[in-house]
Amino acid sequence: MNNRSIKRWVFLSILLGVFLWLISNTQLWEIILSTLFPQETRVLHPRSLPVLVWEHVRLVVISSSITITVGVPLGIWVTRPSGRDFLPIVNDITSFGQTFPPVAVLALTVPMLGFGFLPTTVALFLYGLLPIVRNTIAGLRAVPPDILDAAYGLGMSRLHVLFRIEIPLAARVILAGVRTSVIINIGTAMIGAVIGAGGLGSPIIAGLVQDNIAYIIEGAVPAAMMAIIADQFWANIEETFAYSTISSNT
Amino acid sequence: MIRLQRVTKRYGDTIAVNELSLEVNQGEVCILIGPSGCGKTTTLRMINRLIEVTSGHIFVNGQETSQIKPEKLRQSIGYAIQSVGLFPHLTVAANIAVVPELLHWEKDRITRRIEELLALVNLNPREYAGKYPSQLSGGEAQRIGVARALAANPPILLMDEPFGAVDPLTRQKLQSQFISIQQKLKKTIILVTHDLNEAIRLADRIAIMESGKLVQYDTPQVILSRPANKFVHDFVGTDRALKRLSSISIEGFVKPAPSVMIDASNREIASVIGYRRYAWVVDKNGKLLGWLDRTNLNEATSVRETMVQGDIEEIAIPNNATLHEALARMLGQGFKSIPVVDEKGKFIGEVTLSDVEAATAEMES
Ligand SMILES: Nc1ncnc2c1ncn2[C@@H]1O[C@H](COP(=O)(O)OP(=O)(O)OP(=O)(O)O)[C@@H](O)[C@H]1O
Ligand SMILES: [Mg+2]
Repeated sequence: MNNRSIKRWVFLSILLGVFLWLISNTQLWEIILSTLFPQETRVLHPRSLPVLVWEHVRLVVISSSITITVGVPLGIWVTRPSGRDFLPIVNDITSFGQTFPPVAVLALTVPMLGFGFLPTTVALFLYGLLPIVRNTIAGLRAVPPDILDAAYGLGMSRLHVLFRIEIPLAARVILAGVRTSVIINIGTAMIGAVIGAGGLGSPIIAGLVQDNIAYIIEGAVPAAMMAIIADQFWANIEETFAYSTISSNT
Repeated sequence: MIRLQRVTKRYGDTIAVNELSLEVNQGEVCILIGPSGCGKTTTLRMINRLIEVTSGHIFVNGQETSQIKPEKLRQSIGYAIQSVGLFPHLTVAANIAVVPELLHWEKDRITRRIEELLALVNLNPREYAGKYPSQLSGGEAQRIGVARALAANPPILLMDEPFGAVDPLTRQKLQSQFISIQQKLKKTIILVTHDLNEAIRLADRIAIMESGKLVQYDTPQVILSRPANKFVHDFVGTDRALKRLSSISIEGFVKPAPSVMIDASNREIASVIGYRRYAWVVDKNGKLLGWLDRTNLNEATSVRETMVQGDIEEIAIPNNATLHEALARMLGQGFKSIPVVDEKGKFIGEVTLSDVEAATAEMES
């Protein structure tokens, strides 16, 4: 790890610390929001902010973990000889998954899976799949053919070539897809509130229904901070571990 | 060592290689040459099974390659290509270590081997082992590519236009290095090239291909003097006498020539160069520095002021160069002689235009 990436991780830790401090100080929110919106009798959602954040984080972490563990292998598989025939289908399905509005996905999953956490997770999983699969395919296909030729010519097995050459060279593009997917998920997870999965969508929806801007702020600001932190986190992973033509020179 | 028996490769209706039979003996350099698309690369890649044959048999060391696991086969055959294909995310050392690691060599042995190979291709291990491919020049990358191909000491080497992507001067240097490495290692090599002069210089035998078929397989001398048919005749060209010079090393033509030290006095110069007008100038270690035109030298001037200094690579040729290069350089520079140096730049002697002309005339007769 070089100096620059150590600095980035320190910065991220500070950011995370500030975030945790902010969401655990409910009184502070109350003071600020009451000053801004004196006409409202209530400025905080009845459920406590740390709980809402926890629900949101849980939704995003679980659904994104599933998306990554399914999406990356899926992208790898359709670029192998054994899965190449499925490349067009997988491409279609994943783009379809994203053109579908998340509310519609919910509408379809609720009858099958009921209300709450599970259908939301399924919707988020489908919704986040496209960027990961697409970037995995693009990253693997961008590996120059002469490098693969040399790798096979030296006697590497397919598995060796995949893990020692293709994935390291595609890592940056794959991680960029993961980053996009996670950030999309943080935003999309808001809709979970509609079907009772909780999360930061709850104050926003309540705020919209009751015309209470303070509620909306209570939901939107922590979600925006989460997105920034997630973005920084994946950027740091990329910077620290993935090969790039630029960082290899230093 | 390597034997191809009526090997054919079809892609749909195209026949890339057609009933090709070829045998390369141990320690020999066989060069595949022919027009673009004649099937050279396909032939080469069928030997290490990067391409599977449509029909026919290939034997390596008496064993049919279709009976050997492709990975095992390839680990025992060095492979170097024009685009080099160094792995950009790995250091030079890690690139070279690929095959030894596949073969589970011990760490110490791999480290020693890397140093040995970098020294073999004339790169300083301490300086280069930790570099990344993006930090190398084209010629350096080519040499690392060859070092990587040689890493596990395979008896056989397949090379597809290994010197194709570098400038002519670098190519000449890589060729000389190839010759001296091959003198040491005695590998069995099949090399593809587009450059007939390169083929003549490096080959023990040249295989000329035309649309998937082998048209002539002979030593450079025979190919030049007795082309098998009109295709080979045309391919070899009308300047065959000139091309034959590519197969002759200058070593037998180097003559001693007067050289003066850079700090020599006028009297010393006179005694050394006698009636000649020009003399080569060396430093106290015998390294060539430039030349001196005596008519420009008088009582008031010194060698240092009068001499013409030059980059050694431009004014001299190495002692393993060919007569073809010597001739080209003399004609290019308009000189009647060219100095010859060893690999350290030390002055050895000179080759004169008249000697080269005499050699050409002798071959014609
Ligand atoms: N994968 C392929 N599919 C179809 N045709 C191919 C394929 N690979 C090669 N060919 C054809 O086979 C012939 C021989 O190709 P090959 O690459 O062996 O030529 P080459 O002698 O190496 O040419 P060059 O000097 O340009 O490198 C060409 O006509 C080429 O178009
Ligand atoms: Mg070719």
